[in-house]
Amino acid sequence: MRARRDRQTTGYPAAPETSGPLLEVADLTTHFRTGRGMVRAVDGVSFSLDRGRTLGVVGESGSGKTVLSRSIMGLLPRTNVVRSGEVRFAGRELTALTEAELRDIWGVEIGMVFQDPMTSLNPVMRVGRQITESLRHHLGVDRAEGRRRAVALLDSVGIPEPEQRLGDFPHQLSGGMRQRVTIAVALACGPRLLMADEPTTALDVTVQAQILDLLARQQRERYMAMVLVTHDLGVVAGRTDEIAVMYAGKIVEKAPTRTLFSDMKMPYTEALLKSIPKLADPSHTTLSVIPGRPPDLVNLPTGCRFYPRCPYAQQRCRDEEPPLQEATTPGHVYRCWFPVGTPEGRDALDRNRREGRLDAGAPVAPAGA
Amino acid sequence: MAGSGTAQLRTGDALLRVEHLVVNFHAGPRQRVHAVSDVSFDVLEGETLGLVGESGCGKSTTGRAVMQLPRPTSGSVRFAGQELTALKRGALRETRPQMQMIFQDPISSLNPRRRVVDIVAEPLAIWGRGGGAERDAKVREVFDAVGLDVDAAGDRRPYQFSGGQCQRISIARSLMLDPRLLICDEPVSALDVSVQAQILNLLADTKKRYGLTMIFIAHDLAVVKNVSDRVAVMYLGKLCEVAGADDLYEHPTHPYTNALLASIPEPDPQVRPSTNGAGLAGEIPSPVSPPSGCRFRTRCPRAQDRCAAEEPQMRQMRPDHFVACHFPVESPVSFGATRSTASNQ
Ligand SMILES: Nc1ncnc2c1ncn2[C@@H]1O[C@H](COP(=O)(O)OP(=O)(O)O)[C@@H](O)[C@H]1O
Ligand SMILES: Nc1ncnc2c1ncn2[C@@H]1O[C@H](COP(=O)(O)OP(=O)(O)O)[C@@H](O)[C@H]1O
Ligand code: SF4
Ligand code: SF4
Ligand SMILES: [Mg+2]
Ligand SMILES: [Mg+2]
Repeated sequence: MRARRDRQTTGYPAAPETSGPLLEVADLTTHFRTGRGMVRAVDGVSFSLDRGRTLGVVGESGSGKTVLSRSIMGLLPRTNVVRSGEVRFAGRELTALTEAELRDIWGVEIGMVFQDPMTSLNPVMRVGRQITESLRHHLGVDRAEGRRRAVALLDSVGIPEPEQRLGDFPHQLSGGMRQRVTIAVALACGPRLLMADEPTTALDVTVQAQILDLLARQQRERYMAMVLVTHDLGVVAGRTDEIAVMYAGKIVEKAPTRTLFSDMKMPYTEALLKSIPKLADPSHTTLSVIPGRPPDLVNLPTGCRFYPRCPYAQQRCRDEEPPLQEATTPGHVYRCWFPVGTPEGRDALDRNRREGRLDAGAPVAPAGA
Repeated sequence: MAGSGTAQLRTGDALLRVEHLVVNFHAGPRQRVHAVSDVSFDVLEGETLGLVGESGCGKSTTGRAVMQLPRPTSGSVRFAGQELTALKRGALRETRPQMQMIFQDPISSLNPRRRVVDIVAEPLAIWGRGGGAERDAKVREVFDAVGLDVDAAGDRRPYQFSGGQCQRISIARSLMLDPRLLICDEPVSALDVSVQAQILNLLADTKKRYGLTMIFIAHDLAVVKNVSDRVAVMYLGKLCEVAGADDLYEHPTHPYTNALLASIPEPDPQVRPSTNGAGLAGEIPSPVSPPSGCRFRTRCPRAQDRCAAEEPQMRQMRPDHFVACHFPVESPVSFGATRSTASNQ
C-alpha cells in the first residue's frame, strides 16, 4: 500500500521495481459445472507478460477469452467454478488471495476495461465521483487533489471540457465518450497492468481507432502492460508486441506479432486470417471459409480440437493431442502435428486436396473419417 | 455530402431509383431528427449497392424508406417503374413480395416459438401462393440454397441454432417469394469472422442463383467492398461519395471516405495504424441540429469558410465517380494510417 502511494505522488513509475515478468500465468484452467456437464472454458493456459508490453488475445467468440481474463483477475462466479493453475502478478500469487485482498489490486494495480462501458461504470454516480472515489479510497488523496487529478485524467483520455463533464452521468455521454471515461477510471490509480476485453467492439471504426490510439499512448507514457482481448485480428495486428490465438479454451499459437502474421504455424491462425475480407483484394473476391463451428466445450473432440474443421487434418490429429512446440523464432509456440509452411504440413494439405476431402470452402468432411 | 445532388444517377433503366429522399422523425416538442436529408441513388438490375457509414448516419432508415416502412417524409422511390410513394396501401402491398429485407440480429428477427420450416414457409401462406406440394418443394429449394438440410433442421426452433445458421434461415425465408430486390441491413455485423465469410459467400451465390439486385448496408468498409459493385458513403443523413467499389477504394476523394479508410484496422502488422491522433477526431454530431453547409465540416480537416455557408453538390470527379465536397482530396490518403502499398498475396 505504502509503496503504491509513494509511486503515485511522484508521478508514474519510471522503471520496473521487480525483476522478471510482471504477469505469469501457468497452466491456468477454469471450468464451469453446468447441467449439461463441465464447460472447459479455459484449459491449461500459460503465458508471461513483461512490463510495458502488450499481449493480444484473439479467437472466435466462445473460445474462452473473457473467462481467461476474468480468471486471471479472480473475477469469477462464486459457485460452480473449478479453477487451477497459477497467476503471479508482480511477484504475488493472485489465486491464493482472498476477495478482500484482491480488491486492493482490482482497479489499483490492475485496471480493467470491458466491451460494455456500463458494466464498469455506475449508472447513478456522476462521472467525476467515479474517478475521485477510487483515488481517495486507494491513494488517500484529498477532495481538491482528487478533483484536479480527475480533470487531468479526463483531459488525457480526450474528453473535451473535462471540468463540465465531471457532473455528467454516464447515460448523458455517447458510447465512445463513455468508453473514454471507463479508461480514465481504469487508469486513475496508475495500474501496472491494463486488462482490456473487447474495448472497441461496440464502437464505430473511427471511434475505435481513436480509442486504440488512446490506449497505446497511455500505455507508452505509463510504462504499463496491457492484455488486449479481441475477436478481430485487425485490431491486434498493429498494436501488440505479441499475440496469443485461442481456440476452444487453449492457446494454440503464440508469437511476436510480426512473426505470427509472416510465419504462422497453426492451420487455425491461417484459416482465421484468410476468412477476413481484405481491402487490398478486389471486390467480389471469394473468401475462404472455415467450415463448421468451434466445438462444444462440454464434449470436446479427442486429439486436436481443431481437427473437425482443419484443412490439414490427418488421422494422427484425431488420435493424439498435439503438444505445445517451439518454432524457430524465440517466443513462437504452437500446437500442431502438420504445421503451415513445413514439408509435413504441405504434404498433409496436398493429400487432403487430392482426395477432395477438405478443401477450403467445402462442407465438413474430416480427413481420415 | 455531406451534400446533395443527383449527378450520380444514371440514365436508362434502373430497378430502383431514389431521388431527394428525406426522412424526418419527431423527437419531442419542436425537435426533428433529420435522419435522411435529400439522398439520391439508383440500383441497376442485378447490381449490388453498398451503403456504408458510421452508426446513426441513416443507413437503416434509408433501407426502410425504400420499402416504405414508414413512408418517407418526401422524395421519390421508383421501383420497377412504379412510384412507390404515390401508391395506395393496397397497391403498395402488392409490390411487397418483390422487396425483402434481412437484418443484423438474426436470432431475434425470427419467431422463437415456431419451427424454422414454418418460419421459412410462412410468406407463401401469408400471400396465399402455391399448393401444399408446391410450397414444400419451394421450402426444400431455399433450404438447399442456404446450405441447410430441411429434414435435419426443419423441426427445430431458432434458439437451437447459432447466429450464422439463423442468418441462413432469414435468407431462406427472404427468398420464398422470389424477390427482385434484397435489402441486407448489416447482415454480418453480429457474426464472427469465420461465420461472416460463410454468409458473405452465401449471399454472393444466392444473388447469382436467383438473379437478385441487392442493397448491402454495413459499417465495415472491407466487407462492403467485398460484396458491392457500387458503393455509396453516407454521413449524417447525406451521401458523400458514390463510385464503383474498386474505384472508390483506389481513389477515395471525399475527406470522410479517406478518414473511414484510415480508421480500418488492417489485419497486417506492416500497415501501421496512426498513433499520432491524425485519424478522424470527434464524433458524429446529432441529427437533430446538423451543421450548416457541409454536414461533415465539424470533423473535416479540409474545411474552409465556404463549407459552413454552402452545401456541396454531387459532381463527377472521374468516370462514374461522384463526390459532394468543395475541396475533394486530389491524391488519395492525405491523413490517417500510413498504408504501405497494398500487397496482394
Ligand atoms: N458462468 C459460466 N457458466 C457456464 N459457462 C460459462 C460461464 N461463463 C462463460 N461460460 C462459457 O465459457 C465459454 C467461453 O466463454 P468466453 O470466455 O466468454 O468466450 P469469448 O470471450 O472468447 O467469447 C463459452 O462457451 C461460455 O458459454
Ligand atoms: N423511429 C425513430 N424515431 C426517432 N429517431 C429515429 C428513429 N429511427 C432512427 N432514428 C434516428 O435516425 C438516425 C439514423 O438512424 P439509422 O437509420 O438507424 O442509422 P444507421 O442505420 O446508419 O445506424 C439516428 O440518429 C437514429 O437515432
Ligand atoms: S493439422 Fe492436425 S494438429 Fe494441426 S491444427 Fe490441423 S488438426 Fe490440429
Ligand atoms: S472540405 Fe468542406 S465540403 Fe469537403 S468534406 Fe470537408 S467540410 Fe465538407
Ligand atoms: Mg468475450
Ligand atoms: Mg442501422
